Amino acid sequence: MAFVWHLVILIGTWLPGALTYTMIFGKGKILHFGPLGVSLMTSYATFLTLGATGSYPIAVLTGLGSAIAISAVFAWLSLRLEPDGFGIMSIAVHLSVLSVVLNWSSLTRGALGIPRLPRAPFPASQEGFALVMVVMCIVWVLGMWLLDRSSFGRKIAALAEHEWHSAALGVSRARVHFLAFMVGALGALFGTLPYHHYIGLLHPNDYQFPGLIFFVMLVVAGKPGSVFGVTISTILLVLLKELLRFVPLPPDILGPVRLILFGVILFAAVWYRRDTLFPKQRTV
Amino acid sequence: MLSSTFALAALRWTSRRLHYSSHMQLFANALIAGSLAALIAGGLALVYGVLGVFNLALGQLALTGGYVTWWLHQVLDLPLFPSVIGGLITGALMTWLTFEVFVNPFYKHHRFLPLVTTIAWSMILDGLILLVFEERPRSILPGLKKTFEIFGAHISVEQCVLIALTLIALVVFAYVFHCTPFGRKLRAVVQHDTAALSLGINAPALHRFIFILSGIFAGAGGIFIGIDQNLSPTLAFSLTIKAYAAIIAGGKGNIWGAIICAYLIATLEQLLVGIHWFGVFYVPAGYQQTVALLFIIIFLLCRPSGIFAARARAA
Repeated sequence: MAFVWHLVILIGTWLPGALTYTMIFGKGKILHFGPLGVSLMTSYATFLTLGATGSYPIAVLTGLGSAIAISAVFAWLSLRLEPDGFGIMSIAVHLSVLSVVLNWSSLTRGALGIPRLPRAPFPASQEGFALVMVVMCIVWVLGMWLLDRSSFGRKIAALAEHEWHSAALGVSRARVHFLAFMVGALGALFGTLPYHHYIGLLHPNDYQFPGLIFFVMLVVAGKPGSVFGVTISTILLVLLKELLRFVPLPPDILGPVRLILFGVILFAAVWYRRDTLFPKQRTV
Repeated sequence: MLSSTFALAALRWTSRRLHYSSHMQLFANALIAGSLAALIAGGLALVYGVLGVFNLALGQLALTGGYVTWWLHQVLDLPLFPSVIGGLITGALMTWLTFEVFVNPFYKHHRFLPLVTTIAWSMILDGLILLVFEERPRSILPGLKKTFEIFGAHISVEQCVLIALTLIALVVFAYVFHCTPFGRKLRAVVQHDTAALSLGINAPALHRFIFILSGIFAGAGGIFIGIDQNLSPTLAFSLTIKAYAAIIAGGKGNIWGAIICAYLIATLEQLLVGIHWFGVFYVPAGYQQTVALLFIIIFLLCRPSGIFAARARAA
């Protein structure tokens, strides 16, 4: 039963980030490859502040502030650059932040990560933690669904389909992008903090490039822009990722097999959705 | 008194010589690293110029060429030259496969799709490389290499040969590209593939050729790494990022701009970690990889068209 709770918690930690990412990348067609960069900044800001001050509210506020700051930078860059340029830029920003984390050892302990993170203030048991995650996920899914159905959802879809026409109809690209990235910042905060509290360790390896690919895969496999589709794909792919641990293969074979399997899944999902992932403009 | 003055002068001379020697070593290292990056970035710039697509599996394709050369030379005991040819052919075949399966069916739907499909392919290749060649470092020519001194810099015979071969490859490519009828067709496709098609040039075949050529250059880069250092699966992504930094800084699609910027980035990487800044501190070696990332960030923000932006021809 403990393993079931473990799976529930892991799904709960991936879901907020995946749902906000599908709003940006899936529905908004913004070629953003920096969601892990946002989570990285958020988690390090939170836990370094927690270590320095010992105050949880201050630490969370610092984490939120960092998430908002870096998301605002991403939103500004998305307005300024060509889509593919922004894609490469977001990867570069993510890897630059990671490089600072890895090399500023006196502050971040570099590749060793930060161990012995305190458990969340509540609840103490694994079951309690899992139930809190379930409630949080339900609230999050409903919130994202409402956002998707709101005027904001229609505006971001309109901008993705035709920017100039949307602007002519009064949709502010700057406002919509900024709001989308702010929602992304909240997703990063709600996903990353419980995860590190749960495992008790903050490690830079969790923020390497393969993690980003997993995010892309969740969105592409679950149907870009679909809240319920991405929820289901998150559940299934996190289950697959965790259950693969039980395949009776040595670790030096299991790791590469997992890479190949996820690569094939991502490719198959893109193949299946090649007409809808970056759709051609509709014509009359 | 005289002897202490003499000793001081000798000390200063030795210190200056060491200073000069260390700077020359930095430039020699930059030349070696730049030649490697230029090989990969040059081919990629051509692909970007023609198709406008990003191939994020390029680093893995480069490593495939290097690993196959290692396998042929070290495991099958073939002589070096046939092994290198085998590595280049494998690089070409793998790139052809990449084009036919992961790029061609997608880029006409949307030019951003290959960005995602090549990420998937890079994961598959990473897994295959780890399974077949394992994680430990592999060197095509293991053992201590003979070095000699030029202008105070220590450089091995193999490194000299690699730099010379890179320059020869680039010169041959420049000649074909600028001085032959075939090169004229290539340039026509780079400038406007639809117009080239209407003039009777088989643009789709040249698209394929250019993509495969970029793979041969990348495979050569992988062989370069395997001879000069060690091949390791973790190198792939940094190779790709460095090549893209050179393309963005050099002006998208500008081959010579990308090659010059590849050398420039390699020089700055060496200078960043090799210089005692203001006589006060050294930058940790871990930041060396960040130079390419900063290049991407700075150029995309301040000059998205790159240093050597190609001007579009007008009637």
